Amino acid sequence: MAEEFNTEGMLDMYLLENGQLLERLQEIVLEQKDEECFDEDSINEIFRTMHTIKGSSGVMMFDEITAVAHKLEDVFFYLRESHPQNVPHLELVEHVLAVSDFITGEMDKIENGDPADGKAGDLIAEIDSFLNGIKKKNGAKDKDVKENVHEEPKQFYIAPMATSDSHFYKIYLTYTPGIQLANVHAYKTVYTLKEIAEDLIYSPEDIISNEDAADDILENGFKILLQTQSSEEELRALMPTGYELSKVEIYECTAKEYQQGFDSIGSEIRIDLDSSVEEIEARAGGAAASPKEEKKAPMAPGDFVIASKEPGKAKKLAKDKQKKSEKASFISVDVAKMDMLMDLIGELVISESVVLQNPDLKVPGLKLDNFNKAAAQMSKISTDLQNVIMSMRMVPLTNTFQKMNRIVFDASRKLGKDIEFEMIGDATEVDKNIIEHISDPLMHLVRNSVDHGIETKEEREAAGKKEKGKVTLSAKTESGKVWIGVTDNGRGLERDKILAKARRQGLLDYNRPDSSYTDKEVYQFITLPGFSTNEQVTEFSGRGVGMDVVVSNLQSIGGSLEIESTPGQGSTMSLKIPLTLAIIDGIVMEVGSSSFVIETGAVKEFVNVGEDMMVRKPNGEEFVMIRGEAYPVLRIGEWYHLRDYKKDVNEGMMVIVEVEKKNFCLFVDRLIGKQEIVVKPIPGYIRKVKGLSGCTQLGDGSIALILDAAALLE
Amino acid sequence: MGEHDTDTQKDKYVTFRSGEEYFGLKIEYVNEIIVFQDITEVPECEDYVKGLINLRGKIIPVIDVRLRFGQEPFEYTDRTCIIVIHVRSTVVGLIVEKIAEVVEIPEECILKSPTIGHEEQGQESYVYAIGKVGDSVKLLLDPDRLINDEDLSAQEQTDEEMEEGE
Repeated sequence: MAEEFNTEGMLDMYLLENGQLLERLQEIVLEQKDEECFDEDSINEIFRTMHTIKGSSGVMMFDEITAVAHKLEDVFFYLRESHPQNVPHLELVEHVLAVSDFITGEMDKIENGDPADGKAGDLIAEIDSFLNGIKKKNGAKDKDVKENVHEEPKQFYIAPMATSDSHFYKIYLTYTPGIQLANVHAYKTVYTLKEIAEDLIYSPEDIISNEDAADDILENGFKILLQTQSSEEELRALMPTGYELSKVEIYECTAKEYQQGFDSIGSEIRIDLDSSVEEIEARAGGAAASPKEEKKAPMAPGDFVIASKEPGKAKKLAKDKQKKSEKASFISVDVAKMDMLMDLIGELVISESVVLQNPDLKVPGLKLDNFNKAAAQMSKISTDLQNVIMSMRMVPLTNTFQKMNRIVFDASRKLGKDIEFEMIGDATEVDKNIIEHISDPLMHLVRNSVDHGIETKEEREAAGKKEKGKVTLSAKTESGKVWIGVTDNGRGLERDKILAKARRQGLLDYNRPDSSYTDKEVYQFITLPGFSTNEQVTEFSGRGVGMDVVVSNLQSIGGSLEIESTPGQGSTMSLKIPLTLAIIDGIVMEVGSSSFVIETGAVKEFVNVGEDMMVRKPNGEEFVMIRGEAYPVLRIGEWYHLRDYKKDVNEGMMVIVEVEKKNFCLFVDRLIGKQEIVVKPIPGYIRKVKGLSGCTQLGDGSIALILDAAALLE
Repeated sequence: MGEHDTDTQKDKYVTFRSGEEYFGLKIEYVNEIIVFQDITEVPECEDYVKGLINLRGKIIPVIDVRLRFGQEPFEYTDRTCIIVIHVRSTVVGLIVEKIAEVVEIPEECILKSPTIGHEEQGQESYVYAIGKVGDSVKLLLDPDRLINDEDLSAQEQTDEEMEEGE
């Protein structure tokens, strides 16, 4: 038995699938948290999700998860069958989220190799009393739903299934005593019957995973409940006839008897996952995604699993009955492999430039027509390759935003604030690595907004604010950067409070009056370590760690934080992060003995200027007049105190750069060319230098520094 | 295997000369020793941070040990070496005048760094001990402090004290 299933692979599959299911679950729940109740599709989907999790957790023997999932499944089964009225929706939402949290927590433990030792007793009891509560309220109307949870599943699939041609059978198989692997024989029978079954229940249920099942079968026999269109003769023909079976008993029975199940109520399970009529054909074809089926699926080595269950996105389509065609069109790949591929492509890009810019090619008189043609072709392919790998790594922000939705929900409930949550542009795609880095900062910001930003109801009323508290998450792409905004319509930052605190902490210059600090400068103080203006420490924020972590997290990926605020009307925190960390198109320039790269997107044009075009202010600021417009000039050599750079404007080159609608000129010695560069971070050991966002390796192996035009402007 | 490695590395030190003194670094911190290569300057850094080098595709910072010790700068030649060390996750190249040798200094030959007066300053120093090898003395370096310590003035002072102590 043991060789038959690779438990490693199964575990990975289990974690992957359930992770996706839970994500989708949260999404549904949060989407509808403000409604009166869940709509029918959602109830069905939550029910199915819980059922799947219950099934697979049962197989993996995570009993607590199984129990919790089972309990929630019961609740949703009740909702779906009895359509009770007056369900306290928010309470229900909380229960679902609590279950989802519990399972997620357990799965984290499992993933880290720890035992899943969480106890779900309290949770189950809570849900139980909740369920009983709504049952009591609606009790009179629902005589067809019995209290015994074990019987519920049987109830639940009669309605859609019992067509007039269906026959119901009870089958008892008795195996020859002493036979080996009776459970496998039993499974073979189940498998055969599935071909013709509309519905199938058997006992004992865990015939594959439980080693003791074999003994149980030998002792008590193997019982099958079958609903099928086939006649008894057909059925008999399908029954195994080998020496291992000592007795086969088939009884036809009525639908009612069938519902009551085996005489001894055991632990039968259903084979079908989805009970809707649409699914019957799938089930008849043996294609139902039952837990048993999953076990049969070939397991690839751990990190490379085929997502046989459609991931979160595709779930939506399931409603449109496109489920089958969506299957197997996704594959999950270990991120480490993607990173490796990315690195390799990075190396390829570098070695490509090593070849194409090889000094050997610069020998005068060489005929390079064919070479150049081939080289152009190669460049095209490698560019395509990069685009593909980049697009593979791009994921929409939707999931990250959804998580924030959850945080707003939790926090607002706990703080007793009524807060609306809005997402704009959540389909914006960002490199996966970057998403990992912004998740935490974003969480901090959202919590801050909910906790400090938005006032309590009373405060809002006192301030004459009519609308609900609202947190808006927005995302957009602009000039190769992603902007993510966390906006609230709360009280805004209190300039005076921040200044006073800064004064107390000795952050202000004593000779400078408060009024001379710009809002921007003042707001920057809150990003300093240990700076919190909130007097009260709450569960969510106020400890003064947070904003500085946000900023340092952002800086580590080359991003930055901008704070805007209007007192009394709310504030906006904008994260500006690079779209990707990996490969950018850059212009390589030289100043003195150093090379610099600037992103091609930021460069407007290159101009050779003469001394007569220069204008100098007495304070040393320089401008250059180009076609009647004055551009401020930044001499890279001077700015960075380099050596041996060109001082005469006639000898160098002006690069007109546009950032955020502002233009300025960089003065460099000469241009080297346009090149695709692989962005590498400047080692953390070196202090962050203003205006540099990274470094890269050039074709000749030397290192160039990447200029961040926006930072130069500040 | 791992035990074996640490066993063979135990008590071994890479020694190099900087100025008049010989310094020792525990061999477990040393990744490799490479010949001098072109350094890309990074603007606005401390003077001892010489810039970045490209170590087979990895970009690492290099610092000049003599400048770090507050000694006079020296001319880099073909013979100048870079010791690539790692301290926790940081990889840094150390430019040193001359690599001496790998020596074994058993624990009993290691003396706590002597200090004059200011006990605290002595403890802050990146020379954490003194190793005796035959008649000569090696100053044993704490690489963590060497690359991470910000407080330069105190260390320069300690260095002077060290030299006086010799």
